Formats: sequence, structure tokens, C-alpha cells
Amino acid sequence: MDLGLDVKERSGWAVLSVQGEVDVYTAPQFREQLIQLVDQGQRSILVDLEGVEFLDSTGLGVLVGGLKRVRSHDGDLALVCTQRRILKVLEITGLTKVFTIHESVDAAVGDGQG
Amino acid sequence: MPTDRIVELEIPARPEFVGVARMAVGALAGIRPGLAYERIDDLRIVVSEACTSAIEMLAHQPSLAGNGPPNLRLRCIDGPKTLEIRIEAPGSAFDSAFPASDPEPDVDSFRISLIRALVDDAELRSTPGGTELCLVLHRDAGDAP
Repeated sequence: MDLGLDVKERSGWAVLSVQGEVDVYTAPQFREQLIQLVDQGQRSILVDLEGVEFLDSTGLGVLVGGLKRVRSHDGDLALVCTQRRILKVLEITGLTKVFTIHESVDAAVGDGQG
Repeated sequence: MPTDRIVELEIPARPEFVGVARMAVGALAGIRPGLAYERIDDLRIVVSEACTSAIEMLAHQPSLAGNGPPNLRLRCIDGPKTLEIRIEAPGSAFDSAFPASDPEPDVDSFRISLIRALVDDAELRSTPGGTELCLVLHRDAGDAP
């Protein structure tokens, strides 16, 4: 089971696109990528979950850990997600109130330029 | 009168096998008449949560490892009124999924919230070999028989 992680720069945002299944096996790669982005000085991180086929609490833990890490440097981490199955997991765990969730990367980057 | 159909699967308690458990249970639920895709997704999440909980707890109980990781035994019982997934593991493998008190907001609390929300019943039982987490989906009124 492979996890696809791709980073692009968009208008000052580091856009991390995630593809595949995020669980206890693949989450360490995802966590490492987020840590690396923050360590490289990225303070505006957008995680695009549109390519994610499965996400459980381990993946949620990575997202929350990434948010805490970037906020400790006065940055922010937002999500792109329109998939009902992923939004449901975020809603059940109360994380829709914690993360800013955008409908597309374009919308997020536009909001970021505000 | 329909009878129960039982499928059993045993996986090593290692992270790379959680996807196998999820895929097998999802496939079995998929051939069950009338179960909506959304409920199959729910079941895949809960099975992933349960197996992950067991794997993480067992990693902290090396005395149970012996010559390698212990196994998790999954029994999928497709009955006329319910679909049950029973996951048996050695020791107290599901403590993080069923803590004595509600934990602080973290991965464990997310796990508990998801298990509580996505199956109709979840029960922890002692077995001669350890503990068994029983996850139950009731047949919806609109499901095919």
C-alpha cells in the first residue's frame, strides 16, 4: 500500500497533496513530510485530501500534530476536502471546528491572499 | 430461515496488515445484500481503528510477542439480523479503544469517537486467550433480507 505525497508551492502556500490510504502503516511518511515542511520554514501549509481514499484516527493525529507544530511557529495548516467520507471522519471527531477546510486549492490560495 | 455465514481471517499484529484486514472485511460486507456503501466505509474505519489499537497496545507488551508479533483473529459473522466483526487479540489489547475514563483529545479520543459513532454496538469481552472486541452492525429496516 503506497501513499503518494507531493509538495508544490502556490502563492506562498506549501500545498501537500496526499493520495492513497492513510493509516498506522502509512502515517509515518505523512508525519515526516509535515515535519520536514515546518523545519524548512514553511508557515502556510495546505494539505489537499482530495486524493485520499481512506483516513482513520492515526491520520487525524498526523494532521493535528502538524497543525500544532506549525502554529507553534505562528503559522497555519488548512485542508482541502470535499469528499463526504473524509468529512464525516472530521465531523465525528470535532475537527471541522479546528481546521479551516476549503473546497479546492484555488479557493484556499485565494482565501490566503485574502 | 437464513443461517449465519462465518469468515475467519488471522493477521500478524503489524501495521502493514491493517490494510489487509480492512480490505477483507470491506469485501465481505460488500457481498452482503443491501448494505449501503457508506456503512461499508464505516465498517472499514472501525476495523482499522480496532486493529490499530491492538497493534499499538501489543507493541508495549513485548512479553506477548514470543518469537514474533502475535496474531489478531478476525471473525466476520453475517447473520440474518446483524453483521458482526469479532477481533480477538492476546492480553489487554483494546485498552486504548475502551479506556476506563474519557481521554484528553488526541488519537485515542478520535478512535473512541469513531468506534462509538460508526457501529451500532461495540462490546469488549474476555476470552481464554486475551480479549475480543465485538463490533455489530444491525440490518437496516430497508436492507434486503
